[in-house]
Amino acid sequence: MKTNSIWMAILAASISVAQADEHPMAASAVMPTGHDHTAMMGRPMAWTELPILKTKMSGKTRETTVISIAPQNIVVANIDAWSNNLKDANAHRQLVMEMAGAKLDKPATGGFQMLTAREEQTDFVRVASTVYYFGERGAKNPTAMFMQQKNELEIIPQPYPREHSRYRADEDWKFLVRFKGQPLVNQKVNFETSNGSKVETLTDAAGVLTLHIPDDFKPVEEKKEGASHDHGMRRGADLVLATEYADGGKTYLTAFNSTYGADAYDKRNLAMGFGFALLGMVGAAPLLRQKKTEKKVDTATDKKEEV
Amino acid sequence: MLKSLFPTLGRFRFTVQIIMLFVTVYGGALLGSYTVDRVSQALPSLSCAFDKMTGDHCILIVNQHQLHHRVGEALANAKDITLKVFIPTLMSVGIFFMFFFFLNKAFCGWVCPLGTVQELLRKIGLFFKRPLHQFEPSNVGRVRPVKWLMLLVLVLGLPLLAGMGVASNELGDPFCQVCPSRVVTTLLTADTEQIAVRTGTNINFFLGALGNAMFGFMIIAALAVRQPFCRICPLLSWNALFQKLSPMKLVKVDSHEKCEKCGVCEKACPMDIHEIGTEFGKKAFHEDCTLCGRCAEYCPDDGVIQIKFFGIPLFKSSRDYYKARVKHESPEGTKKKRVIPILPKATPNNG
Repeated sequence: MKTNSIWMAILAASISVAQADEHPMAASAVMPTGHDHTAMMGRPMAWTELPILKTKMSGKTRETTVISIAPQNIVVANIDAWSNNLKDANAHRQLVMEMAGAKLDKPATGGFQMLTAREEQTDFVRVASTVYYFGERGAKNPTAMFMQQKNELEIIPQPYPREHSRYRADEDWKFLVRFKGQPLVNQKVNFETSNGSKVETLTDAAGVLTLHIPDDFKPVEEKKEGASHDHGMRRGADLVLATEYADGGKTYLTAFNSTYGADAYDKRNLAMGFGFALLGMVGAAPLLRQKKTEKKVDTATDKKEEV
Repeated sequence: MLKSLFPTLGRFRFTVQIIMLFVTVYGGALLGSYTVDRVSQALPSLSCAFDKMTGDHCILIVNQHQLHHRVGEALANAKDITLKVFIPTLMSVGIFFMFFFFLNKAFCGWVCPLGTVQELLRKIGLFFKRPLHQFEPSNVGRVRPVKWLMLLVLVLGLPLLAGMGVASNELGDPFCQVCPSRVVTTLLTADTEQIAVRTGTNINFFLGALGNAMFGFMIIAALAVRQPFCRICPLLSWNALFQKLSPMKLVKVDSHEKCEKCGVCEKACPMDIHEIGTEFGKKAFHEDCTLCGRCAEYCPDDGVIQIKFFGIPLFKSSRDYYKARVKHESPEGTKKKRVIPILPKATPNNG
């Protein structure tokens, strides 16, 4: 019953956010002044009602690139950014919402950044979370940063895809679900993708969820994606995981969102791959024939031994 | 103790190669998923970034990306070329050199996973009694320029042109697309994704087909030719640019009269560097040398060829070592039957 009420609350929040987006002044009555309220609200997503954080890159050159984070389906004034260098005094910083979202600065150490947005009311806490990666040589191992407690209810990637890698369809990835640092056993987790998949699954005895990302890309979508220089890092579709837990009269809802790509063999042909390798092998095969006038290979050695 | 474990330099090098094969291919799986982001990302050997378990990856992918995304794009935008644009590239080269300074081209001969795989394949070829094809002084010169061409065109030229918008964007990392280490190391982790040819565009397809054919050719050729891909590897030429700057060197005496008639070191060299036998002094340390040390192992005269670090000999040729070595393995790599020492019969004591 409680679960249903929370889902209804989310839906209501989404509707109110949608209305606020259409009529920004309506929202200003309940929001603190000094910020752009429309941006704080975020736009409701058509594909999900769960709270998510969307990252967007803008700027023509590498030097002028700006990363902005837009919360969607959640009402927040700040976004928390957690750098993977825990010793840095600026490792945890609050990003203030602006017109196009909160600007994410690149810390000197680069690497993985955990981003969380928290909305708290008297009877519920909602958290949206995601990860952003800045390519940087020698970046610290982010495991400790991921494991650091940031909110009561958390979904933690185990691990998050490293550089040159990403979540992809038809792959299994693990996530730890915990409440106040304790793993949640048999915890229900909802999974949704912008391609329309919806799955409900449970954590295991260690509080770990093994998620099989479905291959739900439509052929048209694959064409759109193009085949340019992608490094396997291009945006494909969005995914979100969410879980809910009630404790001490409060209901906690936490979501973790990211992007995922088509499966590993998308626009690849394994049979042709082996075929061309075989062709190369056939080309080298004459080298394996015995020479007609085979010399004794160790003549020189024997001769030298006599020296 | 160490001497019984590693009776020869060859055995010691083979042990290091096997350890490094595991570190470069599976290191990330053993040491944690994010290891590759934390070590050098500028290793002077073909450790592949496409291998999801790798412990570190080679400098060539970094060079291609930086030329493509930073230098090329900056040139195309006709903006002021600031130091900021070049700093990442200079950083990569600097970190690469920090590694390279100590081991020089031993990264090729001792660390590179593809080099190790090729040596293992030659051992299989020997097991099946396949012949050995060697380059003669008359024809080895034909293949040597290819590695420079690979470096200039595939690692430097095309990525830069792609970044400037002159060449197709898909030519941003053309060497990685044809590098056999990408296929070999990923197959070693049971991942068949990289051997599957990309079919998205004609360029993708062409590079994929070429890379796979080269991989297939190398696998079979390595059974009968020592280090077939190393001879055209752009990392060999990249490393050759820096080899004179390292204190780790192959050193040969300035003159030695027996060298003219001997030539055993030439036969031992897996890269068919005939200059090691015919040249002296600095010229003997050729650009194709991988510092495997076989020439020093198979030189039958004392102290003629040495591997030195800051002038300190780490290994030097000796007649006794040579005589023991050739009893077990010919310079070309053929194993000999184990020699069982015959002990003199004990004389019965009638006394």
